[in-house]
Amino acid sequence: MSNLSLVITAIAGLSAAIAGCALPAKTRVQAAVAFTWGACIAALVGALAVLHTGHAMVLNSSRILPLTGVTMVLDPLGAVFVVITAVVAIASTLYWLGYASHGLSTRTASAALPIFVTSMLLVPAAGSVATFLWLWELMALSSLLLVLVDQRRREETRSAAQWYAVMTHAGASAILFALVMLSAHAGNQTFAAIRIHAVHLPAAVRNTAFLLALVGFGSKAGAVPLHVWLPKAHPEAPSPASALMSGAMVNLGIYGIVLVGDRLLGGGPAWWWLTVTAVGVVSALFGALHAATSTDLKRLLAYSTADNMGLVLIGIGASGLFATTGHPAIAAIAMVSALLLTVNHAAFKGSLFLSAGSVQVATGSRDLDRLGGLMRRMPITGVVFLVGGLAIAALPPLNGFVGEWLLFQSLLHGLPTSSTAVAIAVPVGVAALALTGGLTAAAFVKAIGVGFLGRPRSEGAATAHEVPRTMQLGAALLAGACVVLGVVPMIVLPALERAAAEVVPGAPAHSLRASVELRLAGLQGVLAPALLAAGLALAFVAVIAMRRLAQRRSHLRVALRRVEPWGCGRELQTARMQYTATSFAEPLQQVFDDVLRPDRDLDVSHLAESRYYTEKIAYRTSIGDVIEHNVYRPMIGAVNVWGQWARGLQNGSVHRYLAYGLVVLVVVLAVIV
Amino acid sequence: MSGSAYASSLEIASGVVLVCAVVTLWRRSLSAIVKALAVQGVALGVVALILGVGKHDGVLIAVACLVIAAKGVVIPALLGRVVAGDPASREAAPIVNVPASLVGAGALTFLAYGATGSVVALIPTTAGRLIPLGFATMLIGYFAMAVRRKAVSQIVGLLLVDNGIALVAFLATAGVPLLVELGASLDVLLAVVVLRVLAAQMWSKFGVLDLDEMRELHD
Repeated sequence: MSNLSLVITAIAGLSAAIAGCALPAKTRVQAAVAFTWGACIAALVGALAVLHTGHAMVLNSSRILPLTGVTMVLDPLGAVFVVITAVVAIASTLYWLGYASHGLSTRTASAALPIFVTSMLLVPAAGSVATFLWLWELMALSSLLLVLVDQRRREETRSAAQWYAVMTHAGASAILFALVMLSAHAGNQTFAAIRIHAVHLPAAVRNTAFLLALVGFGSKAGAVPLHVWLPKAHPEAPSPASALMSGAMVNLGIYGIVLVGDRLLGGGPAWWWLTVTAVGVVSALFGALHAATSTDLKRLLAYSTADNMGLVLIGIGASGLFATTGHPAIAAIAMVSALLLTVNHAAFKGSLFLSAGSVQVATGSRDLDRLGGLMRRMPITGVVFLVGGLAIAALPPLNGFVGEWLLFQSLLHGLPTSSTAVAIAVPVGVAALALTGGLTAAAFVKAIGVGFLGRPRSEGAATAHEVPRTMQLGAALLAGACVVLGVVPMIVLPALERAAAEVVPGAPAHSLRASVELRLAGLQGVLAPALLAAGLALAFVAVIAMRRLAQRRSHLRVALRRVEPWGCGRELQTARMQYTATSFAEPLQQVFDDVLRPDRDLDVSHLAESRYYTEKIAYRTSIGDVIEHNVYRPMIGAVNVWGQWARGLQNGSVHRYLAYGLVVLVVVLAVIV
Repeated sequence: MSGSAYASSLEIASGVVLVCAVVTLWRRSLSAIVKALAVQGVALGVVALILGVGKHDGVLIAVACLVIAAKGVVIPALLGRVVAGDPASREAAPIVNVPASLVGAGALTFLAYGATGSVVALIPTTAGRLIPLGFATMLIGYFAMAVRRKAVSQIVGLLLVDNGIALVAFLATAGVPLLVELGASLDVLLAVVVLRVLAAQMWSKFGVLDLDEMRELHD
């Protein structure tokens, strides 16, 4: 297999960064986008070839990195992630062309974005510990730069970037420890050598490495309780960057968990996978719940990323669990479902973040309580958001449905087969999936209903205009992918199957037969997405036709009258009478009061004359992150106390510093004696 | 030079190096301290000279001349000019008073003998026996830096550390290569020049050369 595509990807990515850095402002973004596309297309072609043939692509060079050299091995599993990243990157950079005038055309941003994309394209192709860590760190640093783009204008950006930097580096150090530990035991730092030696490792080393990797990669994937950076960094990053972070970067956390857990260590005891499933369940529920109650559009999307990554983790945990209990066929289906959920998430979350960015550009706000009526003013963005929202709510005939259907199938059919652990974990997983689905639907009914329907709630929303064509097109590209993947998932399933067969030992070559119908090997489930879509379309047309018909008939009898809706006796209807995002989420918030712990503030001031009449009522509510508040804040507080104490050690006196040195020297000498 | 004369002259010269270090702790007048430093520089050079003559090593003799010129003449002269510019040139109130400093110097000398025992055992020559003196000089220099308030005293402390290290180097290796000694001497000279400039700046800006007065600057 030729490794030309990896070389071209790296060179084109580098050229894009140089172009973004060196060219004058007018041509900078266009050139960077063009070169980035070159990198994406080269990577896409290479990855598709790997997926088609099933042979890994190998690149070895000792000249690029000092000491360790570069080892790249792109296997089918990595290729899946490369394809996802490339497609999301093409759409996001297309969007960037239109978005550039909104603060993303500086030299730093134009150089950081191509580097970010290129490093994400190459991370899944890394074949040794050093190469992987280099690319991983490059990805973390370039994305940090992108989060910081708006820091001059917005104070919150700096704090968000700080959270992101700390979390991503804590995660990176956990990954570093895990991988270095494995390579030290293997005596060689290539993944191939680690894989061979992993069988002989003592259990303690294997467990520690897996848990460290789970923490490190979990923090990148936004798994609860390591998700805290997600709802801060995603909203603050410029929208093309948030789409890339949420659509492509978090996936690599998932890739890492599969890489270490399945590929390097070759699977492990059931409790590993129970832990992964538990983390997935908690992430899915916590993310969905916060998404349902958030009023900031991008924060909502960020929490929903945690929710979707939770679902993917449930799939991966289930796959590992079935594999250890001796059901490789079901394990393969669970793995395919996890990968399909990842692909789907990239498509719909990418389109949602991009269209949320369009909304922010057009209205100047991303607070749902200040939006409304955008479907009429921004029809294309509105439709794109609608498609993304329906897909994420897992409604047929869109892609979210197929992914969740597969996950449900694997979980439900795994139920009667095996051990106690599985018997407990699976029903809990299914219940969590069901609840998550409901909450996600509520979140997006809120986002679409409040944001795009009704009447505008602010001046910005009332005067919004459709964004430039390239921005519409970038978002629409990914929404189109949602539809295609929903109607004909067969175009990606063989590739995912190949990747899953590689990950799950002993999996059958064809775990699902996908033609027009989707049949699962050894299971009862059958799904024909295209027929389903056709049926739905037919039903839709039929309903419209019948309505027309009925209207025509009624038209003959009574003339159609259009009147203002009844406003409880009030004459004037204002936009303030509509449901807001806050009021829509209020019932849910009440139900989950103990988990969400919202801060409520009710101020009632009475007229001076009589307490029976109120002058005004002020109601404020805000929902913080319980985990951030109860886990991270005390931790930060402890570090601060420690820092304050350490500060007492240095008071600026030269003599004291010299005395420290002398005392240490004397103590060391005394110890030697 | 006979064996005993060689040994006793080496012992005396090395002893003078340590005694000068103690003198810098004992005297309060800055000009006296700088004079003690000059004597120490010369004594250090003499140590190198004795070793060079004893081993018939021309390069070591050249190094010895260089040491006497740099540490015995040039550096003390530079420091002397700083001291001359400061009328209140006394270490009026060191952080640790003089008797306690002397006791400390004694304790540090004991520590030096204790800590270098194993090194001495490795080098069974007259020069090897004297290594603890260099070590003690270095520790006393460090101590002087930590407990003295005047900028000049601190520079002197730093130079004591350097002299102590140089003495250990001469005694333990029987001759530092010329190039290394040249490099080290130039480094020290440069440090002294920089410190002298800084001291002059301090003097013109604040009218004191007392480091404690500079505490205000650290925020």
